[in-house]
Amino acid sequence: MSQLGPIDYAVISQALIASAREMGVKLIRSAYSTILREARDGSAGLMDRFGNTVAQAELIPMQLGPIGETLRACLRRHPVETLKEGDFLINNDPFEGGQHIPDVFIFTPIFVAGRAGKSQLVGFGASVAHHLDLGGGAPGLNIHASDVYQEGIRFPPSKYDFQRDWNGGSFERLVTANVRVPDLTIGDFNAQFAANAIGVLRVKQLCDRYGADKVEAAMKEMQDYSERRVRAAIAQAPKGIFYGEDAVDDDGLTDEPLVVKAKVTISDDSVEIDFEGTCGQVKRNLNCPYSSTLSAALSCVKSVLTSPDIPYNEGMARPIVIKVPYGSLLNPRPPAPVRARMIPAYRVFNAVMKAMAQALPDRVIATGFDCTTAFCLSNLGEKGYSVYLEIFGGGYGASRGADGCDAVDSPLSNCSNAPVESLDIDYDFFRIVGYELAPDSFGLGARRGGAGFSRRCEILKNDVQLAVYSDRFRLAPEGLLGGEPGQRGYCRVHRANGTVEELKSKAAIDLAKGDIVEMFVGGGAGFGRVEERPDAMIDRDLADGLLTRDPRPARKLAAE
Amino acid sequence: MRVGVEVGGTFTDLVAVEGGKVVVTKVPSTPKSPDVGAFAALTASGIDLARISDLGHGSTVATNAVLERKGAAVAFIATQGFRDLLFMQRHDRRNIYDLFYAKPAPPVRRKDCFEATERLRADGSVEMPLDEAKARTELIPVLKSGGYRAVAICLLNAYANPAHEKRLAALIAEALPGVLVTCSHQVAREFREFERASTTLLSAYVQPVIDGYLHRFESKLADAGFTGRFTVMQSNGGRLPAEAMRQSAITALYSGPAAGVVGATRQAARSGYRDLITFDMGGTSTDVCLVQDGRPSLASESEIDGLPIRTPVLDIVSVGAGGGSIAWVDDGGMLRVGPQSAGADPGPACYGKGGTEPATTDAHIVIGTIRPGAFLGGRMTLDGDAARRAFEPIAARFGLGIEQAASSALQLADANIVRAIQLVSTERGRDPRDYALVPFGGAGPLHAARIAEELGISTIVVPPNAGVISAYGLVASDYTKFDAVTRKMKLDDAAAAEAGKTFAEMRARLAAQFADMKLPGDLDYTHTLEMRFVGQAFEVGVEVPADRLGSLDGAYLAGLFADAHHRTFMHGATLDRAVEIVTLRVGATLPIGTIPQLDREKLAARAPEQAKIFHGEAWLDCARHTAEALASGQKIVGPAVIEGYTATTWVPPGWTAELDPADNLILRRS
Repeated sequence: MSQLGPIDYAVISQALIASAREMGVKLIRSAYSTILREARDGSAGLMDRFGNTVAQAELIPMQLGPIGETLRACLRRHPVETLKEGDFLINNDPFEGGQHIPDVFIFTPIFVAGRAGKSQLVGFGASVAHHLDLGGGAPGLNIHASDVYQEGIRFPPSKYDFQRDWNGGSFERLVTANVRVPDLTIGDFNAQFAANAIGVLRVKQLCDRYGADKVEAAMKEMQDYSERRVRAAIAQAPKGIFYGEDAVDDDGLTDEPLVVKAKVTISDDSVEIDFEGTCGQVKRNLNCPYSSTLSAALSCVKSVLTSPDIPYNEGMARPIVIKVPYGSLLNPRPPAPVRARMIPAYRVFNAVMKAMAQALPDRVIATGFDCTTAFCLSNLGEKGYSVYLEIFGGGYGASRGADGCDAVDSPLSNCSNAPVESLDIDYDFFRIVGYELAPDSFGLGARRGGAGFSRRCEILKNDVQLAVYSDRFRLAPEGLLGGEPGQRGYCRVHRANGTVEELKSKAAIDLAKGDIVEMFVGGGAGFGRVEERPDAMIDRDLADGLLTRDPRPARKLAAE
Repeated sequence: MRVGVEVGGTFTDLVAVEGGKVVVTKVPSTPKSPDVGAFAALTASGIDLARISDLGHGSTVATNAVLERKGAAVAFIATQGFRDLLFMQRHDRRNIYDLFYAKPAPPVRRKDCFEATERLRADGSVEMPLDEAKARTELIPVLKSGGYRAVAICLLNAYANPAHEKRLAALIAEALPGVLVTCSHQVAREFREFERASTTLLSAYVQPVIDGYLHRFESKLADAGFTGRFTVMQSNGGRLPAEAMRQSAITALYSGPAAGVVGATRQAARSGYRDLITFDMGGTSTDVCLVQDGRPSLASESEIDGLPIRTPVLDIVSVGAGGGSIAWVDDGGMLRVGPQSAGADPGPACYGKGGTEPATTDAHIVIGTIRPGAFLGGRMTLDGDAARRAFEPIAARFGLGIEQAASSALQLADANIVRAIQLVSTERGRDPRDYALVPFGGAGPLHAARIAEELGISTIVVPPNAGVISAYGLVASDYTKFDAVTRKMKLDDAAAAEAGKTFAEMRARLAAQFADMKLPGDLDYTHTLEMRFVGQAFEVGVEVPADRLGSLDGAYLAGLFADAHHRTFMHGATLDRAVEIVTLRVGATLPIGTIPQLDREKLAARAPEQAKIFHGEAWLDCARHTAEALASGQKIVGPAVIEGYTATTWVPPGWTAELDPADNLILRRS
């Protein structure tokens, strides 16, 4: 911090964080598709000119983690020296720094007047949005894809000129021609460009006020600061080698669980996580690209080791080394399909958490339902496609001090629900008829897991398609230190004729008028033995109808 | 005589205005029963209650009822299948990396939530009729046995058609007289069920508390011979008669900060300033608001304890930077200020009540802007050595002098306030340089100039008695009520005409309500259309000028919307997409007529003294004036300090201060 005083640093760094937050707010508030505007499945941030994350709008942990990887893949093709004002970089390639096809990352370079009147690139405005539909084999979600080509249009790390190629230009027309709901998709792209423009403007204003050198010095110091705080936290943790393991139910084709193994080595001031022993890549979309694996592991370590106020940036990642075997579920070879990568990513999170639980039992949580359930209804009417996609979480795992959070999005994501009244306005082919907490869905313990929930949709027209991927229909979340497991999920179709069909966790099916789809996501696992649960907490859940059976008489019986 | 009594967390302030005479009184608050402190202030002021024509009151009763969970025993009723609405919330987390996250807890338990068998569609048509028999035989008996004092009803799509809510409310009222029933269409007739349910529940929860409090207050007033009008402040910046407020309790939340904004706006207007950024810097936080052409900006939603409230409120942003905010070094080695505060007890180190951590007030003592012997007009003596000692650890840590450390802490507090101002200005597409800064609260005028410099603002208006502006706002504010209706329609000429018609209906409804409140007179109306591009989920509010109401067309409204959208989001100016109207909002205001004048309280004047102030990197010699000694039109060239009874103003080098005929101190950057 040679030329940067403590005050300048504090002021500039807070201003950069505020700018990233503003970018995120405006990205969401001006978006068009339900997945971005209501579910808020998008993120934004500011990067330095080396491609490192400096500050982020804290929206979706999964997308935030590896933005640096995604940008650096672009910069390898299009080095900083070759960029000019008006360019933008784009990438959604799962095999070159991206995650899955729907998450499109856009980067806008920030140029300011530098020395001798030459313009100087100081960083990038970055945004990522989950796009509702980018083509591929089915609207919104193609669960049958056997390779990445069937999952939608792929933008390899590339560079375009905004004026020339967007706003009616060739690139915009290429995108428009390849997606099913171009109005919403192009609108969401515009929201991304605008969010980036806001970030660019704010950084320029800061450079005008404090000078580009100071702003760049602050960007560097912010990363060093996060690194110091993470290393300080690691130094306090018990040292040693710890193992954790969890599994995805199956690959949608066979009944084999897909095992994820993590070996976590905590040394003096760094942590190494090795996924050796994890199963090989699979034929359906449950493969997890390298960036996603990295993101899930980092999110877990950050959540466990550091207080939430430490800014997430590239410095955070420096003390953490991650090794993933190539060709495995967690680092697949192209052209593996990867659409449902959140599911294996959650098992990465769970396996690392279980390993860290041995070292730091007071700072972890038991396994939650921890799954992204993507639930997609679509209908092709006279006016074109109507696509509804929503993301469901479940119950959180319990911890030493608290019950798990009820009915909330899972730790690697943070999607909101769509208001039922807004769905009633926007869609005429289905209606939500129930949205309820699920009693007894959590694992009991000294602290119980969070409750899961169900959402029921009544189908109002014929020729409606349901596509869903979920997990934990077979393998329940495991408790910690004697806590009980959480309940497993299910998806059922109550046909208009009275029959009930039980779906697999990865399924696509045709629906007709009068059918009711019941999507149930389970609760989190408990922490500690239920015998240690305070009476007041049991009584409260009984009175509230969240618990329908008193665990205490059984306990007394067992003791006799 | 007009009297405002504002009950704050620490102090209860009173401002009495009659002709050109102003009485200002400050007494300690009595948090357990705020009316005691309020009457203590009335007693201390020596005012004869029989002579008060207009008594404006603001208190934290509603806010505290929610924060301390001391509202009524309330039951909640939703549409069948949606009993858990208040617990499901929006399925997201405020802090994404917090493993131990808990959702904001509504003041109701799951066992108190029930369902009604019915369902409406988005257009208000009936999908399933209300099952009245079931309500009578199943629902009402459990409400009765539950012993609830209040019932909140929020049915799906009731904003489009309130018939089911009304019918259910009537059934309950009939069976359970004495139980207060609140329906969602009454408090927030807008879509998004969770936000509307939360508003309805909170309203039902605080209403009996407000009702009881105001009833008690009114009878005490009557006993003391008061015969004037008793009014209560709302979070939207307007007042309501206490009687009406007892029916509309949700708008009483956060009335204190709103009163301050109104007071500052009114007092600045006396000097001709109408485009303002107000900032109220108190003990623990600073509240910031942008005022456009004399009207504070409104937000359509706020929250308390993490729970949304869907009623219009002044768009006030709060940051944890006040006189008590503590400077500290975090474990990554970064200097930070707030949000932790020393509060009033123990208070900053200089209070000598056992506090040892350095607060912003201590920093002011170290750099010389506050004199230990002259705090609150000399009524409180501070310990200057304790203030210096408190900053020693930070000075040592960064290798700075003690005054440099203190100055750094102040700069950080300023930076926090600057960010709050950017939130209400630049982030909303407004350039702060087009506004005058109006600081108030005890600490505001000390920080104003440096904050103005950071933002490029060149004019500052310091109101007299800056420490009691909220109480003044109580008697300077108008009577205000809002009405809003969600009516989604694609924008074209027919929709524009329909909007005009709906606006007229809403005006008639509001006029009837004012008549019911026995408030005669011509109402001023504001008309806002919440619009969005088709496909978006968030609306942008666009105010429709009164002179265009008779001749609305689609293209005109689309143009207004595109401008507003582009100002905030930096895209969408081209209008290549269809636009839709979502919600219509009308505000009705009954002006109070002559605005009471807030003048300086006349204290004994002293001649200017010499002082040393640490500014930038050095000690400066400057003059220390007393506000009371200034003559109208007299120019003070910075650096200078101007001391008043409730607040002190810092005029840095490069600024001049001049007292104007309205008793405002105008600071200008040369």
